[in-house]
Amino acid sequence: MIKLIEKIEGEAKLDFNMKDGKIDFVDIAFMSTRNIENILKGKAAFDALVINPRVCGICGHAHLMATVQALESCYKDLQLTNKAKIIRELTLNFELIQNHFKWFYLTLLPLFGKKQQVLKATYPTQLMAKAIAIFGGQYPHTSYAVVGGVVCDITHTDLIKLQHYIEETVKFFEENLVRSQSQSFLESENVDDVLSKEGDLIEILKIIISNEWLELGKSYDRYIVFGANSYFTKGKSMKTRLSNNISLTSVKESKQETSYAKNVSFKNKYYEVGPLARAMINKTPLIKDAHKRYGDSMFSRILARVCEVSQLLHHSKKLIAELDLSEASYIKPSQEISKLTGAGSASVEAARGSLIHKVELENGLIKNYEIITPTQWNLSGGTKDNPGVSQKAMIGLEEISIAELVFKTFDVCSVCTTH
Amino acid sequence: MKTKVLWLSAIACNGNTHSFLNYPYMEQFLNDFEFIYHPVIDTDYTLEEIVSSVIACDILLIEGSIAEDFQRADTSIVKIIQTYSKIVKKIVTVGTCATFGGIFRESDYKNVSGLHFNQELPTNTFREIKDKTVSISGCPIHPEVLVNTLYAIKKDIRLELDKYLRPKEYFAYTIHNGCTRNEYFEYKVDNHKFGELEGCMFYDHGCQAPYTQGSCNKILWNEINSKTRAGLPCMGCTEPGFPRENLFSTKKNMGIPENLPVGVGKRVYLTLAGITKAFTIERLEKKLLND
Repeated sequence: MIKLIEKIEGEAKLDFNMKDGKIDFVDIAFMSTRNIENILKGKAAFDALVINPRVCGICGHAHLMATVQALESCYKDLQLTNKAKIIRELTLNFELIQNHFKWFYLTLLPLFGKKQQVLKATYPTQLMAKAIAIFGGQYPHTSYAVVGGVVCDITHTDLIKLQHYIEETVKFFEENLVRSQSQSFLESENVDDVLSKEGDLIEILKIIISNEWLELGKSYDRYIVFGANSYFTKGKSMKTRLSNNISLTSVKESKQETSYAKNVSFKNKYYEVGPLARAMINKTPLIKDAHKRYGDSMFSRILARVCEVSQLLHHSKKLIAELDLSEASYIKPSQEISKLTGAGSASVEAARGSLIHKVELENGLIKNYEIITPTQWNLSGGTKDNPGVSQKAMIGLEEISIAELVFKTFDVCSVCTTH
Repeated sequence: MKTKVLWLSAIACNGNTHSFLNYPYMEQFLNDFEFIYHPVIDTDYTLEEIVSSVIACDILLIEGSIAEDFQRADTSIVKIIQTYSKIVKKIVTVGTCATFGGIFRESDYKNVSGLHFNQELPTNTFREIKDKTVSISGCPIHPEVLVNTLYAIKKDIRLELDKYLRPKEYFAYTIHNGCTRNEYFEYKVDNHKFGELEGCMFYDHGCQAPYTQGSCNKILWNEINSKTRAGLPCMGCTEPGFPRENLFSTKKNMGIPENLPVGVGKRVYLTLAGITKAFTIERLEKKLLND
């Protein structure tokens, strides 16, 4: 049975094979591709800073960050100030936060039989978009991070405005998602603590419990994170067994016959990416407890994504306190990029997981460009014997509507996948 | 009565969808308009229902570049546009891709273009519906420009349009109008460096604001800022040729920028530049805050 899954920044077709009333296998197909990697070929290196955010309307900022870092990795001696690094990290945090709010109020609620809450999605996301615009001039689709730093400079009064946007967002979180002081939610190590509170997130978690859905959505229990920064840690985890020694060289992309999306694996194995993966690598106490009880079920996945909002808001406040405004925003690279020949790569944590960009430059022009998006990791289409992460999470389910719910807990992005 | 709107995505990144979600008075908007389909907002109809029948609708919004071989729900986007354009009062192209072809003109589909223009050139496929089309270009669109245009349509306000069918109220201006770096341009102080509050990006860093039409520095982005104010060159994203190549550098002939402000001849420009070069304005040579 083929079902068109809509409103995932585009669509995907899921072809369900049923056996004895259960899902035996799911074929996932994306019907289009725009071939951005081809569009980039032959263009000036800096043009990628403008083109790549246009891969995706909801996580384009992560594409900007991956682009600038990939270009910078082509240099041997590139210098960045701490100020530039912190500013970049802040704006990427804000993008992740806006994404998670939208996912919760626009995508997730209707799947639990609740009315979509457009205004609860737009209020905090507009605050986060403003926070990005302080630095980048606008959101979406700024190109404010350039090789050597950021194009903006900011003052203390800008920071006051920024802090107010963050505090308003924290307040929104505390009044809506989890009615509690964020600090106590952040420090919580026990799922029962969280369930004793009220709020939009808690309601959803309680539905999962009362419907006995705690076992649903389990996959390989295998996670990977490539985009290290001051908050996220690079590494992979098989259940809770952690290894921080991973390299992009073991990542492989391959074509599929039935879909425009390419598969991606690490040492020929499929890994889950995204907030749950990041929390597992970071060993976030609350998520560790959820995982101990319910494994990599959709309960843990949903909790991890919403929990990340609170963590990133808190971490952003710390980053702002570390900003030294007397530092330069930009240091001119020793060599003009228009004369550069070299290759490089970068990975950043986008809202949905690890995003990888690879670039080859020849005399300042793009000779080759490769993009691997988070949704490719989670939605890689495997075979019945070796299913992909989201396929495995759906196999064995009885109802297609539950399968759609499980599928969307991965926060699928069609446009990214069909770059 | 709520005005019924169909938001149809063609070859897109959904950037316009998300930019629209930044409209600050969404509650008011949703009191007056209802989507029969939207890429993110829940609607009464599925995409499959939209393409398999004809649902009553007042305004058709198209996001993304258009190509015959691009399908949504197994139906060519061209066919969906043809079906709905017949029944709606107005059609709005949302963004530069839908208006001129934009970035995805270069995607792998065949004969990709905007609804009525392939960059500057008029196209023929949809000429019967040209009279009822309004173009809102921009990559992405400014949410306020889109929303205000939809209200103008709802209230039957006559919109003056430019040659690309863009409302003059927003597109008669240049991005340069209202830029906080204006004085560096006016007095030809060409010492811009990235990461600073001072300087104009027109001379070296490819800023297209003086010859790009739109209201970015009049109706600010996210209500607070603009790219050029922040220090990022205008990329000309509302124009038919977007994206041109070498976006971060200014193309010059014998030291003179190849593209000059809209309506300003080379001679006028050179005369003005010559005069300004004859004097130095100390205030503009120094740092703004810590001199």
